Amino acid sequence: MHNANNLFINYMDKAVHGSPVVQANFLKVILKVSETIVKILKHENLIINLNYEPGKFWPAHKDKTVAFVDGGLDKTSFLSSAPLTIRAGSYIVNKAAKEEFFTQQKNCLVDLYDPDNELYDFIDDDNFEDLMLNKKKDAARIIFEASALVNHIQSERNIDLCFLHGPIQAILTPFTQQGFPPFTKLAAEYIIPFYKKKKMSPEDRHFINVYLECVKFIKKSPFPIYGVVETAVSAAYTKNLLYSFKSKGIISEKDYRETIDTIIKYRITDANLFEIILKKNQALKPIEIQKQFYGNKIIQRSMWDDLIEQYPKIFMGYVKVTDNQAPIRIETLNYPSNLISDFSYILAVSKLLPNYGYPVGLNVVDRFVKISNWMSKASRNYFTTHLLKQAINNKDKNTVSLALKILSKKNRAWMNRPTKRRISR
Amino acid sequence: MRKKLKWQTIGTVLGETNINEFFFSLKNYQAKKGDIVATETNVPDGNGKIISVTVWGKIMSIDCSNEWFPRQAAQELANEDIDIRDTILPTTRDELICKVSILGYTKNNEDKLKLLPLVYPVKPAASVNYPHSNDVEKLLISDLNSKHPIFIGSLLARESVEIKIDADNLVSRHVLITGMSGSGKTVMVRRIISELMQKMFPMLIYDIHGDYLGFVQKNKQMFPDNKVKLFYPNLSIKSEDKEIIYTLIEKLGKPLTEPQNDYLNSLINKVKYEESSLIKYINKLIAQSRDYIKDRNSKTKGASSGMGHIKAATMFVVNRSLGQVVKKLISMEQTNFRHRKKMVNLKFEQLPDAGTEPEKIISKGQLSILYLKGYETLPASAIVSILSESLFKHRQEVEEEIPPFLTIIEEAHNFIPSRTENKDNLPSVETIRKLITEGRKFGTGLMIVSQRPARLDETIVSQCNSHISFRIKNQKDQKFVRDTSETFDAEDTKQLPALANGQGVISGQVVNFSLPVQIKFDEQLLNTDIGNENFISTVEKWDDKETVKLRKKFAKDFSSISESDQRRPH
Ligand SMILES: Nc1ncnc2c1ncn2[C@@H]1O[C@H](COP(=O)(O)OP(=O)(O)OP(=O)(O)O)[C@@H](O)[C@H]1O
Ligand SMILES: [Mg+2]
Repeated sequence: MHNANNLFINYMDKAVHGSPVVQANFLKVILKVSETIVKILKHENLIINLNYEPGKFWPAHKDKTVAFVDGGLDKTSFLSSAPLTIRAGSYIVNKAAKEEFFTQQKNCLVDLYDPDNELYDFIDDDNFEDLMLNKKKDAARIIFEASALVNHIQSERNIDLCFLHGPIQAILTPFTQQGFPPFTKLAAEYIIPFYKKKKMSPEDRHFINVYLECVKFIKKSPFPIYGVVETAVSAAYTKNLLYSFKSKGIISEKDYRETIDTIIKYRITDANLFEIILKKNQALKPIEIQKQFYGNKIIQRSMWDDLIEQYPKIFMGYVKVTDNQAPIRIETLNYPSNLISDFSYILAVSKLLPNYGYPVGLNVVDRFVKISNWMSKASRNYFTTHLLKQAINNKDKNTVSLALKILSKKNRAWMNRPTKRRISR
Repeated sequence: MRKKLKWQTIGTVLGETNINEFFFSLKNYQAKKGDIVATETNVPDGNGKIISVTVWGKIMSIDCSNEWFPRQAAQELANEDIDIRDTILPTTRDELICKVSILGYTKNNEDKLKLLPLVYPVKPAASVNYPHSNDVEKLLISDLNSKHPIFIGSLLARESVEIKIDADNLVSRHVLITGMSGSGKTVMVRRIISELMQKMFPMLIYDIHGDYLGFVQKNKQMFPDNKVKLFYPNLSIKSEDKEIIYTLIEKLGKPLTEPQNDYLNSLINKVKYEESSLIKYINKLIAQSRDYIKDRNSKTKGASSGMGHIKAATMFVVNRSLGQVVKKLISMEQTNFRHRKKMVNLKFEQLPDAGTEPEKIISKGQLSILYLKGYETLPASAIVSILSESLFKHRQEVEEEIPPFLTIIEEAHNFIPSRTENKDNLPSVETIRKLITEGRKFGTGLMIVSQRPARLDETIVSQCNSHISFRIKNQKDQKFVRDTSETFDAEDTKQLPALANGQGVISGQVVNFSLPVQIKFDEQLLNTDIGNENFISTVEKWDDKETVKLRKKFAKDFSSISESDQRRPH
């Protein structure tokens, strides 16, 4: 089961968990909705056919410099007493020039946030389930990924195309919560070196501010940067499409409301719909979407609303790589100037990962950030058995159980596909 | 080792280590299988101090994985016929894990490198270094601690590291050289011979193919101080040595019973030996014996010849044995002669009598080649047996008429087959067994060369304490090499089927430890007279003999006769 957002799985989910009425209706409803959406897509001329001829494509694109960026937690660090490390890795490749670079930016979580301005109670640093800690980890990963992009834009290297694993602009609401700590001055400077060099108030160093700076800079990138989300669990594209039709007066307020309600009720996602609608090698042209707001409605009121309004809109499209996968979501801050050729590139590079259908370079960089060099497959065996032996020698129950946990986890954690990133909207 | 130059770091020791081996992750392309590497560690010196030492090891295997290359991508590349070099897939991120077998450690402050067994494991996370060639060489040679090291080639993994082996052990103990045809055995033996000639060490080669005739051709040029003698087997003996006939009958014919021996004895006493040829003499014995038989079968029942007490059957057996011997002797002489005649530029001498003039065969600075081409297994075996036994006797005697020497037996499966294969009861097996078990005392070392080690006499093989193996594809022989030679590194023997010509693994008393080597090829020592067997050019230069030409010419005439004959109406 490689795609939890698979239409079939969604259906099964409804069959198991939904009420009898929902069960009976799900397929009928989704087919109905898709019929309507297809008409709108066709009317707007949003469906495009992409060409896939790998034999010709790759030699012709060999000379492109392409960057793949992904962030992650250094999982290995919890084997020792070392603090949790956040990393953003990049894989930059140009085959014609015989170049394959792997670069990374990393920082320990404890050094990242300013403890003096941390307002909420810190329960227990070691508690991985702690909500705040999770938010801090997420924010750290997002900001490091953005920082990596900023870095690439500033670097001397001429990049032709750049891909980010995940949305091009993150949802900000989790970080607007009262008491979310700002970054330290050092961290902020590291993330975006040219940002307000002299005085930086705690507010300036807050995620919403620092990230905004990054996003604005990324929007000015001379080369296209695409965020790729392989398991989109929202219906942003559909909803925005409907909204724009309503705004243009093509559908009535009533029809709009009811359709949206149905989509919400049945938890129909873009992926569900476009899996039905699109054939392989087809794509949806990007449409403009305000990420942080939906329609006119602010998602959640907070002290950061003014700033959040300054975040640029994004463009969202879909590419369907294979017949048995949901399409992948492509996000960008600017409308692509070479839409067909860029989307064709995305298609080709995703075909190289046929079972998952998203850009293989992102899978490569994902491996890179998740596995630190000295902990990769071959070394891991020696390391883990060593750990277990030590644990047993110590006869310390907790150490033994930790070691066993790691040993039993290693296959799942390291060998399987990268974890899916769930994006709520 | 003092004033050590900085060695290049090529990797990092991984996780768990012990005193026998460790693993390290290797930087791309920085070392090969078989390479000697080193790492620094601390060991307790036994006096309560901790000393820093250099641990030396040999890379036994290298595993490579590219975890960043997704499997599914491979599938797509294959299906769609895409060249990975055109795609963005990473190709440079191979992760290399080397397994190192530890050779020992050397103390860091000592000039003379002596490998000591490691008694404390190496440090995980320590860096692994690539020692300079001359440091590796120094380690090998100083650890070998040989009075007479001889150069044979280079470390297989590293051409710049010269490999030397210990000549003292080589000549006093026994060496087994194995490998399939064309794998480089003879080239190696020639290499060793060249070195030993510089040391004026006497050697005797039993050469079946003429692989060593190059030494004769290049004697003046390359070995001006040495004597190279080329012999063919001698079948004439001195009268006082006519007892050899007993041996010949024993070796070539059927072993005689006591009464049969008595009868032969009376024959030999009766017939006077004229110093011509052994064959003539045996023929005379046969003639005499016939007379006796005639007499024995006459009315007098042998009374007139004084042989009445001997059974006719005994006489018959001896007669037949003598006949067999003579037939075999004649045929071997003739075949060998034919081969010698082809090589007009080479001077062949008849083998001197080893009993009375052993110094003509074994003497300081002399290389003696006994050219056995054309001899069948049994006669050749008898010659080897007679000669070696006779020379060995001289070493056993107190007078020591000849110096210590090395015997080289090529195609050894012909002379010392295993028990199961020794159907002919070859005389050389017994002789060589004796030589090899007692040879150490008397300085008669053996170098045994064979393509099929699994078919050699087990006792003899077990006495070889150095072993060099070249490429072996045959499973049975590979297993044999693994099983019989405990000095071989298991990982090294895995390499055997993949070795190229001249690449071998050497182990045992002539080296410090099992070493994969590339033997130096002395091309000048190839026999230029025979050249490599080149049948194509032979055919190109081929011209029919006169008789053949005539035969062909007349064949046409005859065939036209038979044709016309067939056309004739009935
Ligand atoms: N060390 C070497 N370097 C380069 N070439 C070699 C080396 N050893 C052998 N060869 C090549 O292989 C050929 C055969 O080698 P060699 O005569 O030693 O084989 P062999 O093992 O004695 O075979 P056989 O069992 O048939 O006698 C040589 O003539 C040479 O061309
Ligand atoms: Mg040979």
